[in-house]
Amino acid sequence: MLALLATESGLTKTEILSSVRGYAQRYVSGGDNANLERQFERDKDDIRELGVPLETIEPLGEPGDNHNLRYRIPKGAYDLPDDVRFDSDEIALLGLAAMAWREGSLSAESRRALVKLRALGIAANEPVLGYAPRLRLRDAAFEPLTQAIDRHQIVRFDYLKPGEERARTREVIPLALVQYEGRWHLAAEELATGEGKTFLLRRIVGKISAGKPAPERPGDHMARSLADLDAVWERGIADIEVRAGSDAAQRLAHRRGTEEVAPGTLRMHYVDLAILADELASFGPEVLVIEPPALRAAVIERLQRTVADHG
Amino acid sequence: MADKRHRAPARSVPAPQARDKLAFLLALVPWLLEHDRVTVQEAAAHFGVTEDEIRTSVSLVAMSGVPGATATYQHDDLFDIDWDAFESDDEIAITQHVAIDDAPRLSAREAAALIAGLQYLQALPGNADRAGIRTLIEKLSRGASATPSQLAVSGGPDGEVLGLVQRAVAEGRRVRFAYLNSRGEREERDVDPLRVESIDADWYLRGWDHLRQALRTFRFDRMSDMVVTDDPIEHDASEMHLPDTLFEPSAEDLEVTIEASPEVIGLLADYIPDGALTSEVGDRIRTTLRVSHYHGLKRLIAGMPGTVRVVAPEQARRAVAEWAAAGLARYA
Repeated sequence: MLALLATESGLTKTEILSSVRGYAQRYVSGGDNANLERQFERDKDDIRELGVPLETIEPLGEPGDNHNLRYRIPKGAYDLPDDVRFDSDEIALLGLAAMAWREGSLSAESRRALVKLRALGIAANEPVLGYAPRLRLRDAAFEPLTQAIDRHQIVRFDYLKPGEERARTREVIPLALVQYEGRWHLAAEELATGEGKTFLLRRIVGKISAGKPAPERPGDHMARSLADLDAVWERGIADIEVRAGSDAAQRLAHRRGTEEVAPGTLRMHYVDLAILADELASFGPEVLVIEPPALRAAVIERLQRTVADHG
Repeated sequence: MADKRHRAPARSVPAPQARDKLAFLLALVPWLLEHDRVTVQEAAAHFGVTEDEIRTSVSLVAMSGVPGATATYQHDDLFDIDWDAFESDDEIAITQHVAIDDAPRLSAREAAALIAGLQYLQALPGNADRAGIRTLIEKLSRGASATPSQLAVSGGPDGEVLGLVQRAVAEGRRVRFAYLNSRGEREERDVDPLRVESIDADWYLRGWDHLRQALRTFRFDRMSDMVVTDDPIEHDASEMHLPDTLFEPSAEDLEVTIEASPEVIGLLADYIPDGALTSEVGDRIRTTLRVSHYHGLKRLIAGMPGTVRVVAPEQARRAVAEWAAAGLARYA
């Protein structure tokens, strides 16, 4: 890697394998270097995944000739820009942000980001009150979806919509992953219809298969998706009677956007009727759904099921 | 949900991969260059690694270089350090360097992870205001080698509770609030606040509970009427060791046998003790849950209808059935 940073004109693969330490000792001039070439491909992936801008330059007049492709790392694109510097408070906050990911697939990334930022030599200002934030990635679909988004690939998966008997296969361009009210959603464009859709990760059944390159879809998909979810949340209104002093009364009243419209009656917002029905069912006799009828029916159906399963 | 038993993430800090090692070297070199001479101990403390890791890495750096014009690694093409100081005084001083002198950029995923983490923390008062966080996010985007992956987290803690807790900590005073426990009992609690923790959308306060004379964890959404009292705290975070688990298992815990569909086993992971026996029964998985009482259990199971069934003991099964039946009776 040092060699690639030091070169301005770039090095060909043969030059790298024959001269750079680590490769050169095992390089057989004019012989079979298949193992070494595979090693080189892996190293290239590692370097790119680290965010190191490894460039390839096609030799003039020989487009498509892979053999004489030259590799280099432009110094200007490698170094952290000079105006990107952080103060001690910011470093502390970044440390917390990284800590939130200590479980799951993003933990390696956030750990590496912190290591890189430590190169700047700034010590964190420890806050007086300790925080231990944690974002969980329980959804198996998270990792393959982030990868597909980064690599601009189309994905296929089976999705089980509430109320439907079996899962349907969807083929979409994945655009962004957003956590809303503690649950991960995928913002995507359905390939067949070109429509923007939001999928709840926990309803994705089975494996995600990623494949064909996806067309570019520029834009702030995170903001659009959060705005969509907000709009759904705004429209979803339920009136719930809660028993005074109960767990339900306490916890539901603390939810964002909940208001008491009459003594003991809460008006709350929701995104997903099936999820709210599960939550309300857990409160047993502490809640009574007044509106909407679909939610009332869903809660009754859930309670009947639990009674039947435990009778 | 009541009495969640949050196990700390498995302590499986993965063996450093090639990528991690390389990232570390790329960060270590510019830091060493910034500091003319540092001890191995200082470097280990700054990067949060062992002294041996520093020594190994420095030795590796000292032998690195570029092949140079003649492809023979001449002295000018190599890193060099003050070997005497390194070997006898455990001190590091880079005397010659090649190619690297500045901190590396972040990758798209690295920047995205930090940005999404910041959005999650946006509501934390005291650290930075919203404008500050925006600037920070913008800086991270510029410090990445490609556009950060699209990842967003919305929501955050109850700012009012958090503000009061912060004030109490800063002033060294207790907080007092009404707390509704999962058995449905409401009590006034006086607490020395020690740490705020969160898991996704759930926020918790950990502190010394003067009523119970013990460490306790309180859910934000079960607290009400919080005030900062005039009473000084008796315990602070520096002297208390907080366990990694939010809730401690206790000898009085009850064991319950359940059958669950495989998709929801992950959602129950917090309640499944280490080493629980698991077997397949048809398309269901049979395993054991540990709960502190049936009040928590009945809520948990009634909230996952059709996917989890309590098999034994009889008393637990009945507690769930009665809870759901009582709920149903309200619609009769």
